[in-house]
Amino acid sequence: MSDAAVVMKGVRKTFGDKVAVDDLNLVVPRGVVCGFIGPNGAGKTTTIRMIMSILFPDQGEIGVLGKRSAMESRDLIGYLPEERGLYRKMKVAVFLGYIARLKGLDGGPADAKVKQWLERVSLGDSARKKCEELSKGMQQKVQFIASVIHEPELIILDEVFSGLDPVNRRLMRELIEEQHGAGRTIIFSTHAMFEAEQLCEQVFMIHNGRKMLDGSLREITAQFNPRSLIVETMNPDDAPQLSSVPGVARVSTGSQRGASLGVVEVSVDEASQPARVMSEIVNRIDVRRIEIKRVTLEDVFLEVVRRAGGGDIDPALLARSSSGSSESGGES
Amino acid sequence: MKRTMQIASREFLSVVLTRAFLIGILIVPIMMAVVVIAISLVPKSPAVSGRIVVLDQSGLVGVLVEQRFSDEGVREEAEADGRKVKAMMKDAMSQVAVPEATRTMVDKQIEEARKASPAGKGSGARLSVELLKPDADIEKVKDEIRVSQIRAGSDGGTPARLALVIIPEGAVRGASDPSEVRGESDVRVMTWEPHEVFVNPQLDFELQTTINRRVGEAIVDARVASDPRFQNLGLSPARLRELMHRPSAEVKSLTREGEKQSAGALQILVPVAFMILLMMSVMSGGQYLMTALIEEKSNRVMEVLLSAVSPMQLMLGKILGMMGVALLLLAIFGGLGMAGLVAFALADLVPLFKLVWLGVFFIFAFFTIASLMAAIGAAVNEMREAQTLLSPVMMMVMVPWFLWLPISRAPNSTFATVMSFVPALNPFVMVIRMGGSEPIPAWHYPAAAGVAMLTAMAAAWASAKVFRVGVLMYGKPPNLSTLIRWVRMA
Repeated sequence: MSDAAVVMKGVRKTFGDKVAVDDLNLVVPRGVVCGFIGPNGAGKTTTIRMIMSILFPDQGEIGVLGKRSAMESRDLIGYLPEERGLYRKMKVAVFLGYIARLKGLDGGPADAKVKQWLERVSLGDSARKKCEELSKGMQQKVQFIASVIHEPELIILDEVFSGLDPVNRRLMRELIEEQHGAGRTIIFSTHAMFEAEQLCEQVFMIHNGRKMLDGSLREITAQFNPRSLIVETMNPDDAPQLSSVPGVARVSTGSQRGASLGVVEVSVDEASQPARVMSEIVNRIDVRRIEIKRVTLEDVFLEVVRRAGGGDIDPALLARSSSGSSESGGES
Repeated sequence: MKRTMQIASREFLSVVLTRAFLIGILIVPIMMAVVVIAISLVPKSPAVSGRIVVLDQSGLVGVLVEQRFSDEGVREEAEADGRKVKAMMKDAMSQVAVPEATRTMVDKQIEEARKASPAGKGSGARLSVELLKPDADIEKVKDEIRVSQIRAGSDGGTPARLALVIIPEGAVRGASDPSEVRGESDVRVMTWEPHEVFVNPQLDFELQTTINRRVGEAIVDARVASDPRFQNLGLSPARLRELMHRPSAEVKSLTREGEKQSAGALQILVPVAFMILLMMSVMSGGQYLMTALIEEKSNRVMEVLLSAVSPMQLMLGKILGMMGVALLLLAIFGGLGMAGLVAFALADLVPLFKLVWLGVFFIFAFFTIASLMAAIGAAVNEMREAQTLLSPVMMMVMVPWFLWLPISRAPNSTFATVMSFVPALNPFVMVIRMGGSEPIPAWHYPAAAGVAMLTAMAAAWASAKVFRVGVLMYGKPPNLSTLIRWVRMA
């Protein structure tokens, strides 16, 4: 086995007739932050559970931290499951102490660490509360502490940003960066594209159980040629004229707010160069601003799903969300 | 192992330190106390005042009935009742062997109860007797009783008529058939004419019984009094009753150490007590285990735990933790039982080696049942789904109930011996057998324990497989054949 944090080779997993994951190959080097994306039901949680040795693949091999399975390196792994797994009636600090002991920490240091961590995520006051008394976001933070308290080398976070408000999202981002800074490998699955873009060095996308993307964020966005221009005309009334410019396939007004300012998104047809079309537009119409639209991870995500036929996602829904994509951030 | 113990101690504390557990332990004694207090608080009979109308055609019974309802008659009856209860208690106590101190205590309490209600049964009622002339209009009296109002206490005026008693002459002077003479000439088969009692439909049941009893006794007294043979002997009805009282001896068993009060009925109760103890502690421990697992599965703590420990460690830890709970229950209730036996000086009914074997069979029975319960808990998503899978386990626990009597009466029968080697049942069977009266061959203990241990190991092995597959399986609940497939597969 290689020394990478996680290696998967030809992994396949079925539940009855349904193929959850098929022929999955993946290498996550040590010390990177790897984002794991894909539509609902793509097989993300199944993959993560297989890495964790909670489920076992029908075919293929999985190596974790140089060992044959996560079983053998359990104490070096931190895991935050998708759904909140807390004992409802247990007190927060007692619960974390229990988990820390289960992960091999001794009693005294474990309790000191729990206290320190609760302070760090500003839950110091809640140590004596029962888990069920916490809000969803607070529970998520407790859960995060449970996954990192034993200072694991590999941290696997399933849907870590769900249910968090902007303040706590930022806190979570800082915590992940902190762990990254300490040299740990982090794999997290998410639907929050903004956070993924901010954090990831490596992005890994699956759809219908198959790998769609795997590489650094730069490599991936480069594969997706920008074919859209953002144009702001001096006079908002000039915007309709843009569609008569050669090479322009479609003009969409995007959001209501953009339209009233004269900001439109211009799609360039397959045959033309975006730069040519840009100079054409500048020659014909007075513009305040014109730029090639930056490709976001969200655009890539939607494009991949669209090309793959959408699976069980309605194509009309995809087209609509794509045009307004620059306005919506974060979780989609 | 350290982590397994961590899990075990958490499971133990999470059950034992809850209010529900404490209440569960206390509920039985509390309920018993409540019932005892409630019964003692219920008034014996309502305070009713009224008249009992007696139509006596024999001319002998009416006066006796009147006497029995007079203040003095009621007092006498109460005293006789007290004597009877005492005798009954003595009889009962000779069955279960009660030390002298307890005996005097019981006597004292009967005495006190009697003093507290001098009138005995029907204390609250004030009933008087009205004798009718033989030519009175019965239908009119019946109509009056039919509509009479039952009132408490006497608010002046004449008390309402509540009951009508008709005593025909033949009830006292019976007819005898000269053809049916048995043996000596004066032993003849008598036939008595029945008497009749009519009451208002609202009259309290206990008062109805009291009336019926007093009238019946008055008739017997009248029969005795009117028979010239008793008069010739100078035998009064009261004297006759004294003579007819059946005495009862205290049964003593002859042991090597000397004479002892016989354990009597307790001898049969010891095996069933052993079995109930075993069953109760095993089942409640198993139930806790199953519910805890279902809950953890549904709130997904399971995944967090499984990222730290292996399914085998988790299951073992949980079983050990719950075994602690079951052992605590066994110690509490068994300890109470032993304390009772010691208090009644009967501790030698349960020698120490039997208690040790009880512990051994408990461990194997618990491991077997708890493994199965853990597998079920891990396989389903909700309590509701667990019910169908539980029925085979329940059967296993119910069967010993049917075996109790045949096995405890004959612990060395072929049937009992064979049953002690049937896997899964044998801990229960052995516990019944060793509580029984006859000693069983010594080698049966280790041999049956061996079978029980192998059963427990097999159950744990199969359950671990189901547990590993089922614990993270959500969705359609599995049926029995699915579970068996999981055992084969994993």
